[in-house]
Amino acid sequence: MSFIKDYNIAIPRFRITDNSLHPRLGRNGQHSICFADEDLITLAFQAAANLKLETLNSKLDGVLFATSTPVFKNRYHASFLADLLNLPQGILALDFTNSTRSGTDALLLANTLIDSGEYKNILVVTADVHFPAIGKELSTPFGHGACAILLSNEKGIAEITAAKSYSSSLAEEFSYKGNTIQYDPRFSRDAGFKTNLTASLKNFITNPKAYDAVILNSLYARIAGGIFAKTGFEETHFAKDTLTSKIGNTGAAHALLLLVNEIENEKKNILLADYTNGTNFFEIKKQSTIQEKVVQNQLENVEFITSYQDYLLLRKAGNYNSANYETKEMFSSEMMQEREKDTLQYLKGLKCDSCGTIYYLKSTRCKKCKTDKFSEFQLSKQGTVYTLTSEHYFPSSFPPIHMLVIDLDGGGRVTVQQTDTMYLENNKIEIGSKVKLVLRKMIENDAKPNYFWKAIPL
Amino acid sequence: MKKQNDIAIIGIGVTKFGELFHQSYDDLVRDAAKQAVNDAQISMDEIGAAWLSTAFPEIGVFKGRSGMDLSEPLSLYNIPVTRVSNFCASGADAIRNAVNALRAGECDVAMALGVEKLRDRQPQDSIVKMMVEYGHPFLQKGFTAAGTFAVYANRMMKEYGITREDISNVSVKNHLHGSMNEKAFYRKPCTLEEVMKSPMVANPLTVLDSCPTTDGAACVIMVRAEDVDKNKHHPIYIDGIGLSVSTGWDLPFFDPYHDFLSFQATKDAAAIAYKQAGITKPIDEIDLVEVHDCFSIVELLTYEDLGLCKPGESKDMIRGKATQLGGQIPVNVSGGLLSCGHPVGSTGIRMVVEIANHLRGNAGDRQVKGAKKGLSHNIGGPGAIASVIVLNNEN
Repeated sequence: MSFIKDYNIAIPRFRITDNSLHPRLGRNGQHSICFADEDLITLAFQAAANLKLETLNSKLDGVLFATSTPVFKNRYHASFLADLLNLPQGILALDFTNSTRSGTDALLLANTLIDSGEYKNILVVTADVHFPAIGKELSTPFGHGACAILLSNEKGIAEITAAKSYSSSLAEEFSYKGNTIQYDPRFSRDAGFKTNLTASLKNFITNPKAYDAVILNSLYARIAGGIFAKTGFEETHFAKDTLTSKIGNTGAAHALLLLVNEIENEKKNILLADYTNGTNFFEIKKQSTIQEKVVQNQLENVEFITSYQDYLLLRKAGNYNSANYETKEMFSSEMMQEREKDTLQYLKGLKCDSCGTIYYLKSTRCKKCKTDKFSEFQLSKQGTVYTLTSEHYFPSSFPPIHMLVIDLDGGGRVTVQQTDTMYLENNKIEIGSKVKLVLRKMIENDAKPNYFWKAIPL
Repeated sequence: MKKQNDIAIIGIGVTKFGELFHQSYDDLVRDAAKQAVNDAQISMDEIGAAWLSTAFPEIGVFKGRSGMDLSEPLSLYNIPVTRVSNFCASGADAIRNAVNALRAGECDVAMALGVEKLRDRQPQDSIVKMMVEYGHPFLQKGFTAAGTFAVYANRMMKEYGITREDISNVSVKNHLHGSMNEKAFYRKPCTLEEVMKSPMVANPLTVLDSCPTTDGAACVIMVRAEDVDKNKHHPIYIDGIGLSVSTGWDLPFFDPYHDFLSFQATKDAAAIAYKQAGITKPIDEIDLVEVHDCFSIVELLTYEDLGLCKPGESKDMIRGKATQLGGQIPVNVSGGLLSCGHPVGSTGIRMVVEIANHLRGNAGDRQVKGAKKGLSHNIGGPGAIASVIVLNNEN
């Protein structure tokens, strides 16, 4: 079996309520929404970037990435992410796409690979950014989020003591050549969901009383109580899904987010069932207490989108800015991005061997002492604003773009855009403000990947 | 270093600046060159070498990529013609190159001509497009030209107690001056309230704190001082000319020592020009100044960099109206870039023509009385490059 050594999650800052989406329906749901420059890559990076890889005794040997909303085709999200995370070239990097169950599929395979003894540490990352068609937002409880779990053969936060997947031939709702197909719901739920869950529970569960938290991630979870009861589970052990009401259903990321939530709820023996066209089962035993609870923290750091018009702007379905001028593709080349990767992607600067001045950009000679010997220096992602301005004429869905000149903690200066600036009044930054760098898309009208650093208040 | 004021400007010409929809790039070259040649009372064929300054051919009409774009409209062939490109200091650098060629004896009569044709395109298709779509895709992306100077404004406000009113009063002053300049684009004075309430471009700089990009051309003809014919020429002598590249395009925004309170390039260029001209106390020795007020904050900052006042005291100069026409040292009596507009490659030469007119006593309503010495200043490439030229009407 394997151990959860570390984990983290990423939920976008912005939320929209069902009331803003459709006031007359009187629903109370909320959805976490990517800002205009976020996507599943930035969310996945945010979740995975701060995992404590340095605490591992042996190196990381793989990244498994899962999503039901891929942005790439014929390019692996996992290897793209591995590169962003500065993991070794040639590392095992596999994608699991096409299903909202793919998050636990990845976890299942990671567990199996570690169990085999051939792999020691595998990073499982899942991120989902599903936007329903305009006007159809209330037909699905969508939400955006990501979860990263570091699975290891070393003891950690929790142990996966059993894991198994049970396939089903029937699916309740699926897509065929782009068309959405729905069978008669009573038929497919009985012959699909209920039949599969009943049979797999019978096979997987030996002692239903052993669990203090039972998680079922399924759109049909509400009708599953009877099935669990028949197998001998007590209703009180059902883990309440406290996430969906606050962020919506985050698709492929949802099962793992629910798992992390229960771990942070200090549950000791967790059963995780993830149903979509078949069920993945996991039995997870908690081993140590959590130092820092991330779920609650991210659920509280919220800004609400106040109107449907703003939501449309965020989806770039509304009008552009004052200049009436859309950003076209910036000049950038694969060659440039590859050769400047250390600077642009990994924030590696130079430190003058003679006077200690730290430069972000490469330099032949130190501007201060004119010597030419430098050492590589890893810049910090936090700093203080030295000066700033707001650009009202640079194209953006939410002008102005705030430009910040930032002195990084520990040395070095960068100039980047501020982000999450949907509402000016909530984003006051002044000279002297503390900020941190986050990875975002550089321009919104992105015809190709263009990820770079932007700043948010610390 | 050679003895200075050995080079004389004998011919000057400048077109109207603005939206010159009826004039082509070639028309502007002809207009400015003919004025200068006529003023010098020479024939076009006496010109031995020429320098063409156009900063941004690719966001204009794709002309000015080489010296031939000066030769062609003037039928000025079989001589060396060089295109000069040094951002907003291009025009001044064309003059510097001509001066050096005269000193080196490459030619006896030199022409420096600056021309820019930007308004054949929509405003957002020119400089903004350049900042948005060209250049490094990540480094300092998000700035327009205004923003790269607004970060200086905010730091200066924090550090020196300069107010938004001080900054905007530069614009009020220059628009007042511009109303007296028949060649300027904007010829309407404006109030402080109008400047401060005009649309924000890059906080704290508004539309009226920003110069417009326009069309225009300017030209000077130069000879060695010994070749001046006192019977027909009204010579203006070059006392000092300095140019310095003191940082880069990206570096100011990534250099931990950059204080955003001054432009080192201006200080360097001024030091060179002052040394050549023997100037030690510029505020007492110079009668009028044209500075590069592409954005109003730059004028305040430049008072300090040129040594007209101490660091942090520029606000007192604008508050005391010392730089207004009639004040201690009038600055931008032409109306500056804020009123004239900024056809990038020609601005530096337009300033020299302006100073020359004052030193000749030909500046009409806005004449600085008894002006003997003048200074022109350009800054380009977000503060990286600067040029300072000191002019004198006596040899």
